[in-house]
Amino acid sequence: MQQSLINTVYEALALLLSGDGPLWGIIGISFSVSGLAILIAVIPAMAIGFVLAFYDFFGRRILIALFNTLLSVPAVVIGLTFYLLLSRQGPLGDLRLLFTQTAMVIGQVALCFPLLVAMSHTAFQSIERRAWETAITLGRSFFGALYLVVREARFALLAAVLAAFGRIIAEVGASMMLGGNILHHTRNIPTAIALETSKGEFAQGIALGIVLLLLAFVLNGLLHVFQGKGSLS
Amino acid sequence: MSAPDLLDDTRLIRFRGLAKKYGKRQIFEHINLDLHPSQSHLLIGKNGSGKSTLLRILAGLLKPDRGRLTLMGQVEERSWHELRSALRARVMYMHQTPYLFDGSVEKNLNYAMNTAIGTCDKKLKLQEALRWSGLESLAGSEAKQLSGGEKQRVALARAWLRQSQVLLLDEPTANLDKASRLKTIELLHSLRGLGVCLIIACHEYQEFLTVSDGILQLKQGQLEKFN
Repeated sequence: MQQSLINTVYEALALLLSGDGPLWGIIGISFSVSGLAILIAVIPAMAIGFVLAFYDFFGRRILIALFNTLLSVPAVVIGLTFYLLLSRQGPLGDLRLLFTQTAMVIGQVALCFPLLVAMSHTAFQSIERRAWETAITLGRSFFGALYLVVREARFALLAAVLAAFGRIIAEVGASMMLGGNILHHTRNIPTAIALETSKGEFAQGIALGIVLLLLAFVLNGLLHVFQGKGSLS
Repeated sequence: MSAPDLLDDTRLIRFRGLAKKYGKRQIFEHINLDLHPSQSHLLIGKNGSGKSTLLRILAGLLKPDRGRLTLMGQVEERSWHELRSALRARVMYMHQTPYLFDGSVEKNLNYAMNTAIGTCDKKLKLQEALRWSGLESLAGSEAKQLSGGEKQRVALARAWLRQSQVLLLDEPTANLDKASRLKTIELLHSLRGLGVCLIIACHEYQEFLTVSDGILQLKQGQLEKFN
């Protein structure tokens, strides 16, 4: 049993290092879908985080509580919700997006959005209202002041982006339901691992698992560096 | 206002009927105030009397419940909200503990400079500001690691560079040692000499008497003026 596990890991490493086309194709889909989802979500989510941190308005506390609640919604529930919306009989069925990368991007945006809002809200809160007021009173325009405040919170904001990317690239529920796990099209790392394991093809599953582990290691390392820099400054 | 009145009028900003309350608590109401160039007033009052609130409203940072104002050269009174941007362009507010941004002293001073100024002029202005505030030797130092007195000087150098018409200071010498307090007052004298109108909120007002023309006291929601 132990010998067979070692052989499978060797096989997995060989697959990775030989540049196996289908395997790297799956990795490419994972990164492009999750990268696009982050790109779409990051600016509006951070804008909401900024408004929640620096403006007082009716319903602000309710919004904060709502985004904090959305943090704990399971990926499959998000997947199910958008599946119902995008399926043929659903209200958005005419768009024919189900089982496409676009549907996966939509699901991942919905997954990472509350996390980005909550973490950027905390990041902006941590730099004090005085920073915003000082930037304004120095005669800077709204966007000039915004630049200064974002610069002050840059390490914490970057940590938010990394945490959100880490969450969506490893989630399986929404990607499986909205993408359908179609080879060369919507099969990403977590859905491929689930499929290969169910088929008993452990080598590819382990190879993809190694990629996710390496990614988790790199993201956590970067998070540690940025959070450290943030707390130092 | 008649034409001769307007010609004689040197006020920078005129505030009328400012009022603010937090919840059910009325902080102040019917506050009238005229700000003139080179004039300096001390703003005193007990803790919680609304000194900081009033300064933040005058700076355009906090919305009053009521209040109208006129700017220099204008006759018609307009609401605070309509003139908020104009107010922010003319008035600068300094927190009790000035906030300095990440980066060097030089970088912090750069943020206060008009973006329309050319690079050469910026460098000259920057050197002048460092000299004026006695910060030449600290130009490259990390601003957030300065002492309280040095931070205060950076904030005043920003005010000097910013060239605002009005400077509002919230307890500028609180928590400073004697030497830093004296330096702060010296720099305030200099700013006033340049035509800047100063309003200084403070508890220990004796040390500011040399730099003030009068005292404004916030008491039971009303502003009383003493020469």
